[in-house]
Amino acid sequence: MPNEYIAILMFSTMMLLMMTGQRVFGVIGFVAVVASLALWGTGGESLGFSATIKLMKWYPLLTLPMFVFMGYVMSEARLADDLYRMFHVWMGPVPGGLAIGTILLMVLISAMNGLSVAGMAIGATIALPELLRRNYDKVMVTGVIQAGSSLGILIPPSVVLVLYAMIARQPVGQLWLAGLFPGLLMATLFIVYIWIRCRITPSLGPVLSEEERSQIPNAEKYRLLLAGALPLVIFFVMMFPFVKGYTSLVESSVIGAVATVIGAVWKGRFTRAVFETTTRMTLAISCMFMWIILAALSFGAVFDGLGAVKAIESFFVGDLGLGPWEILIMMQLSYLIMGMFLDDTAMLVIVAPLYVPLVGVLGFDLIWYGVLYTITCQIAYLTPPFGYNLFLMRAMAPKEITIIDIYKSITPFVLVMVLALVLVIVFPQVALWLPNYVYDK
Amino acid sequence: MPRPILIFVRFVDRLNYGVGRFAMYLLYVLMAILLWSSMSKIIQAPAIWTLEMAQFMMVAYYILGGPYSMQLGSHVRMDLVYDALSDRRRLWWDAFTIFVLIFYLCVMLYGAVQSTAYSFGLKYYAVEISWLPFDIPWGKTGFMERNPSAWRPYLWPIKLVMVLGFFLMILQSLSFFFRDIAALRGVKI
Repeated sequence: MPNEYIAILMFSTMMLLMMTGQRVFGVIGFVAVVASLALWGTGGESLGFSATIKLMKWYPLLTLPMFVFMGYVMSEARLADDLYRMFHVWMGPVPGGLAIGTILLMVLISAMNGLSVAGMAIGATIALPELLRRNYDKVMVTGVIQAGSSLGILIPPSVVLVLYAMIARQPVGQLWLAGLFPGLLMATLFIVYIWIRCRITPSLGPVLSEEERSQIPNAEKYRLLLAGALPLVIFFVMMFPFVKGYTSLVESSVIGAVATVIGAVWKGRFTRAVFETTTRMTLAISCMFMWIILAALSFGAVFDGLGAVKAIESFFVGDLGLGPWEILIMMQLSYLIMGMFLDDTAMLVIVAPLYVPLVGVLGFDLIWYGVLYTITCQIAYLTPPFGYNLFLMRAMAPKEITIIDIYKSITPFVLVMVLALVLVIVFPQVALWLPNYVYDK
Repeated sequence: MPRPILIFVRFVDRLNYGVGRFAMYLLYVLMAILLWSSMSKIIQAPAIWTLEMAQFMMVAYYILGGPYSMQLGSHVRMDLVYDALSDRRRLWWDAFTIFVLIFYLCVMLYGAVQSTAYSFGLKYYAVEISWLPFDIPWGKTGFMERNPSAWRPYLWPIKLVMVLGFFLMILQSLSFFFRDIAALRGVKI
């Protein structure tokens, strides 16, 4: 059997087994070890285990539990409450203002967090009930929270970019900085979209009433503005020594985690219950990601053994005879489609090693491609039937929001994200200016 | 359900709960190590052991925490079809597909055991002696495996942890299997 067919067989077996609803990491790992045993017989059995050693050597991945921990401290200690109140008060008079405020809140949360989990939790527990109470359209609100929380993986710090950095062997610092402006660009596009939508149909996001606004004294307004300073302080305490090169990436993430805890203690909200929940949930989420990455690494190793990189290269360049830009677009499209059906973290670990060498050969900037990759990954997180954010949303959303609502809600935001992707492709400087400026290339 | 199975399920669940609760707090140990590392850089005397110690801690964290995270139900499943199933059918499917997971874990355990043996310097290869009907295993490396770095830690402790972790994962999966069967038979464990 030619190698291409083996690869396709592996993918389709994985798809089928995933449909049964068994844990994703088990399915991926199973396909990987069975394939390696079938292909290489004796010696094939150690392929699965060698992934654990590889994972152990991926030092930057230590940031994963740290960022998960930070996120949970923030959401459990309700540090985001004040932030939310701040946007609530300041954005109230604008049409769709609270939804816009939620996006801004997500931007700040993303600046302290490497994943979308925390944003999702905060959005679903704090913003969602409040927005529904104020008669915001439930479909739009659901979309806002999902799209907003997905910024977590683009705006630094980002765990997805750390993973990409390890696969593509690129410096994490530059990748993170490269993600900043595209993230802000995307947030701006979200805001513009919400604003226009609510101008056209005011019932989607009603303006805060005059008397309610006048109830809040000005002093309170300015005091709340200070609440916005906390995340920025944490962000700088974490990022500054790292970008300056005083501490390593992992050490910075720990400093960030400690700073968040200090913030929570200072606010008097780091109770026993918060400690217990954050510790437990950090373990649960970190384990989920680590076991998936572990299994995906074995899967990727089998692909590597099959010579999939060369096969893909010859397929795109030779058989289809495409130019570099067409190949780039094809790769993004194929990743989007695969991302719909397969687990997104696993896709990242499996597909990135296949595409990244080709991108390098075609002469594209790998830092820039990392940003494209992350945006694509963000979209994959949102798109049904298999999206990590969808999964979380379903678990966290109140009963009145059905699966259909969730599916419907993301469509416009996915289109906005595709627009952002196109913008970054057409204007690479959006991503590359900041890292080039800071690292003085 | 037969009594031994009940005892097994209860024992495994409690054991893994205990191990998982222990692993959960390794997060703080990990943080302490990394903070120490930052401190030691500030006072211009970087510690050589922190990097690897942090790596080992991370492995112990997620491998030993694995069974507990399964108990917490935190592992993603593709719920497109799964969610639409009746409870009973879901139990049936799970009872079968759990063996996919167990097979994977067994291969991982086998790899871990081999690798641990190697780290103890016990890699055996077969020596063929013509007049014997079977091959004699022979110690090959004879040295303890160490990480190639400045600190050169021995690798066997972390590998033993991995062996233990995969073993516990298998036990936990079996426990889930028995629970599914019990639920199908209408017994509550």
